[in-house]
Amino acid sequence: MILLAAWVVAATLLAPVALYAHESSLGVLELREVRQGAYVGRWTMEPTIGGARVDLRAPPHCFLRIPELDCGQKGLVGALTIGNLGSRMSAALIKIIPIQGETRSYTITTANPTVSILGPEAPTLESWIELGVTYLNYGVDHILLGADHLLFVFGLIWIVGPSRRLVTTITAFTIGHSASLAAAAFGLIGVPERPLNACIALSIVFVGVEIVKQRHSEAGLTARYPWAVAGGFGLVHGVGFASALAGLGIERRLLPAALAFFNVGVEIGQLAFVLLTLALIWAHRRLGAVLPGSRDLLPGYAIGSIAAFWFIGRLLRVLAID
Amino acid sequence: MSGQSKSAVAGALFFLLYAKTASAHIIGARLGDFYAGAVHPLTDLKDVILWFALGILAGSLGASNARSVLLLFPFGLLAGLTTGMTMNATSEGALVAAGALVLLGLLLALELRIHGGLLCAIALGLAAARGAANAGAVGPETNRLLFAAGLAVAGYVIIALVMASTLAFRGAGTATQTWRRVAIRVLGSWIAALGLMMGGLTLAS
Repeated sequence: MILLAAWVVAATLLAPVALYAHESSLGVLELREVRQGAYVGRWTMEPTIGGARVDLRAPPHCFLRIPELDCGQKGLVGALTIGNLGSRMSAALIKIIPIQGETRSYTITTANPTVSILGPEAPTLESWIELGVTYLNYGVDHILLGADHLLFVFGLIWIVGPSRRLVTTITAFTIGHSASLAAAAFGLIGVPERPLNACIALSIVFVGVEIVKQRHSEAGLTARYPWAVAGGFGLVHGVGFASALAGLGIERRLLPAALAFFNVGVEIGQLAFVLLTLALIWAHRRLGAVLPGSRDLLPGYAIGSIAAFWFIGRLLRVLAID
Repeated sequence: MSGQSKSAVAGALFFLLYAKTASAHIIGARLGDFYAGAVHPLTDLKDVILWFALGILAGSLGASNARSVLLLFPFGLLAGLTTGMTMNATSEGALVAAGALVLLGLLLALELRIHGGLLCAIALGLAAARGAANAGAVGPETNRLLFAAGLAVAGYVIIALVMASTLAFRGAGTATQTWRRVAIRVLGSWIAALGLMMGGLTLAS
């Protein structure tokens, strides 16, 4: 079990580039209707590969001559595809601003490189399915790329161990982050992103300290009330999840569904991580692979150190020193 | 080392030295280079079967032998990947993999209790060969550090789970567990047969 922790920590240390937990290679393309069926495109958030290199494919009845997109009387309805999504641009948000009516937003990801632009009769069943698949995937992606969230969950598992209490702990974390995610997404609460990210890092430092305490046979707060700590910090992490949704500019009428699918995606990713960790703990016990003596303190120190490193970096961003 | 083991090592070395140019299979990089490194070997049957075969062999040799493979295997993957990237060797190593499958399959089928040191040497050699083969997936835009970390973590996770599962399946080795040992031996013969087929296909193409 200890060896497993040492490995996770080592992998995290080896991969510092992956630790920008809330930053993604997202591009935001705004298509503004200037006259009936004619749009002008503009990257409001340039993707890392550069806007000019994005392979954008419009519906067949549309004529695309960058930055103009002419779809005639039929308007911009149909499949819009980005053909070259990859590691340098994981997702793109297409915002369509019509002359009349609400702005509509569509997320294109590597998993779903094509979106169907909805007509005025939307949302239809097809659009609901598309929305579900998109945000489910986005939720899974967000948790799997959120090294800080995963390290926090790992710390909780490390303290609680594979027991019945782990179920309540993870459930409390889920309830906590779901509540604050919903509250933040609906605009009931608002926390600036940079201080929030620093707090998330600090929550992992806390868990690291608790692990060391536990190894010194001290019953820390997490060891005594893991559900309370998980639920409390879950609230903080949930606002962090919401910041991922906030940048996507979802239509308000679609927000509850998008939020629900996104949250389910986060849960699927989190559950997969928990199950994998438990399987590895079982494997290490079966193999008798443990670090000898006082070296079992190393994972706790390592988790705390990594999180402290993140915290300092994020604090510097809060203070705008970077 | 027994004569049989020496022959096995010589055979493995022959296959390790033989390499062909690879055509790397492209996988989606939806989750970035860490996950690309972790998933890439799992999309290749050669890696999947080899990793499992090695895990089953190490697990069937007992926990003490398996523990050393736990660290050596990902280390070998890293060493092979680094060497492959440095030397720009993008060999897919299909024959090496096929030969290794035959070797591992035979060791399992014959239920040979090989020495722990030999197991470590086989694990390190195979991991290095597969690590080098995976170097073909590293493109100019790939973050090498992340890809390497992903590959090593995937290797560690898979080998740990397979070894532990084998240990659990095999049990304490009492008379009542005989059918389980037979099952592992049968599995070994299938692995060897797969290796022969893969080798034949590679030579034929």
